[in-house]
Amino acid sequence: MSEMKPSDVATAEDSSEEQDWNAAKAFFDSLKSNKPRPPKPRFAVSIAVSSRTLFNMVAERKIYEEEGVEKYVAFQVEHENEPLKPGPAFPFVKALMNVNSRLRELYPDSEELFDIVLMTNNHAQVGVRLINSINHYDLTIERFCMTGGKSPIGYLEAYMTNLYLSKDSDKVTEAIEAGIAAATVFMPEKESELSDTQLRVAFDGDAVLFSDESEIIVKQHGLDTFFEHEKHFENQPLAQGPLKCFLEALGKLQRKFYSKNERLNCPIRTFLVTARSAASSGARVLKTLRSWGLEIDEALFLAGAPKGPLLQKIRPHIFFDDQMFHIEGAKDLGTIAAHVPYGIGQKYHKGKLIEQPAKKE
Amino acid sequence: MVSTVQNTDVKQKDSDHAVVVAVASRAVFEPGGGDGVYAEGVAFPLLQALQKVNERLLEENSAESLLFDIVLITTDSQQQSSQLISSTKHYGLEVSRFCFSTEEDFIESLLKNNVQLFLSTDRNEVSQTSQKGVLSALLDEYTASCPSEQLRVLLCGDTVIRPDTNPTPASRQAAQSFSAQLGKMRQRFGMSDSPLSITLMTSCGGRDSCGGALQTLRSLGISADEAYCLAGAPQGPILSVLRPHFLLSDGFSGLED
Repeated sequence: MSEMKPSDVATAEDSSEEQDWNAAKAFFDSLKSNKPRPPKPRFAVSIAVSSRTLFNMVAERKIYEEEGVEKYVAFQVEHENEPLKPGPAFPFVKALMNVNSRLRELYPDSEELFDIVLMTNNHAQVGVRLINSINHYDLTIERFCMTGGKSPIGYLEAYMTNLYLSKDSDKVTEAIEAGIAAATVFMPEKESELSDTQLRVAFDGDAVLFSDESEIIVKQHGLDTFFEHEKHFENQPLAQGPLKCFLEALGKLQRKFYSKNERLNCPIRTFLVTARSAASSGARVLKTLRSWGLEIDEALFLAGAPKGPLLQKIRPHIFFDDQMFHIEGAKDLGTIAAHVPYGIGQKYHKGKLIEQPAKKE
Repeated sequence: MVSTVQNTDVKQKDSDHAVVVAVASRAVFEPGGGDGVYAEGVAFPLLQALQKVNERLLEENSAESLLFDIVLITTDSQQQSSQLISSTKHYGLEVSRFCFSTEEDFIESLLKNNVQLFLSTDRNEVSQTSQKGVLSALLDEYTASCPSEQLRVLLCGDTVIRPDTNPTPASRQAAQSFSAQLGKMRQRFGMSDSPLSITLMTSCGGRDSCGGALQTLRSLGISADEAYCLAGAPQGPILSVLRPHFLLSDGFSGLED
């Protein structure tokens, strides 16, 4: 079985890992329910979601900010038998669960599945309401970390997380700096009808799948220099960006469907939505993907046109972009957008350099 | 021959209400200090954390009687009693008394002193003590790197019971009553900035196991701060981030029922 994670663990750790795993396997097998067993983390694609991306906690958050942590926890405990409403990452999680069902049908003994982990720095007492809410929607989330206020970054690393979604941009930035693919998820302005049979993920190119090296040229030297540069270096692959590994993990799972002749019916579809234009700067992107052995199902070159309307047609469960300008455009037209705080794009807004405020302590 | 010596530098605790914690002297002190004083052992940050809890409890209420009563116990004749006393005073440790015992009678000493928790780096000592119904926990080299500003206790909800440590009903009871005391102490502080943090971890079961354990703890008066549900994920990496001073598992398997 191929692994989704690098294997650099010593043998002594392996055997205690095996013990932990076998004990859990025995436990789940002994349950009389149809509940699917959570996959072995080493082989799974781990997606960590925060409580505020999974559920809508806007009202509760207000209490926390205005009245403090004690009142907030007391409120959550008082309402713990009332399930929370879905949050922005909820449709994405349901789509992941659907892919898992399809994978289990085709490969009943495989551990190569999505593993959804709730990663929250909420207090454990709030956790009861979160567990009750997960039960209400029957989500397959069996693993969680409720850190009671501490940073989740260490736990993200301990779980070998492939993707972390949160509403807190500081935590997301910390995760990216630690080499973990992460994004800040925004609730769209209006609801869209999303597929319940296919997981659809859209990615921006520069500073998301690829590094921000070309983005830097645009910002500092303008479009003409950018076009010349990209044509000149067409055959030199771009460096990788923070979400490249997540696309890779999706590709591995897609190939499992292809090898069972399910290409036309594959429950995962990926999209590249880039401001680059096909004619001038697009070739380098496609050649880079090819050199990495990665496929993307649809590549859409906008040549600078706004992304919002196109995304409305695509209806992805999540769209990753490094520039807030595109995130806002996507949100306004009903797309669930996730900001990747990486690269030179963070210092600019609509092409203008932002005055950096003094860093918060 | 067991002998108990009071530490005259430290105010004695109210024996009706204090929580007696005995720490094996070899965990606290190691050879090589110089000047007739031992060097700091792995349990140092733990002792400092216990002291911090007492300090903060007294800040909240200067008449507080629910405090940790720390006893230093020798379990063999390797360390010198006079040097243990002088080292304790040298470092200003809040040890109320010293129990000088040997391998044969240290458990008797624990029972006589009404010890509610025994901590040691020796696996055999911990195992023997558990079997006699005294709650005990193993300290290891990781304990040395734990914080000294906050006592972090980990309650393991459903660890697979090791064949050599079958929890007796007595030890289960001891675990629950100690944890209930901890729960009471925890209530003296607010949500944030507490010198005591109680963490629940379940390793095999899914979310309902952990959820059930949280509810059971609540019924015992224990409000856990942090909760981790592993459902078969490896414990090692999580524990190294969690950094608890010690784990209690004896009384908690089957908590989720």
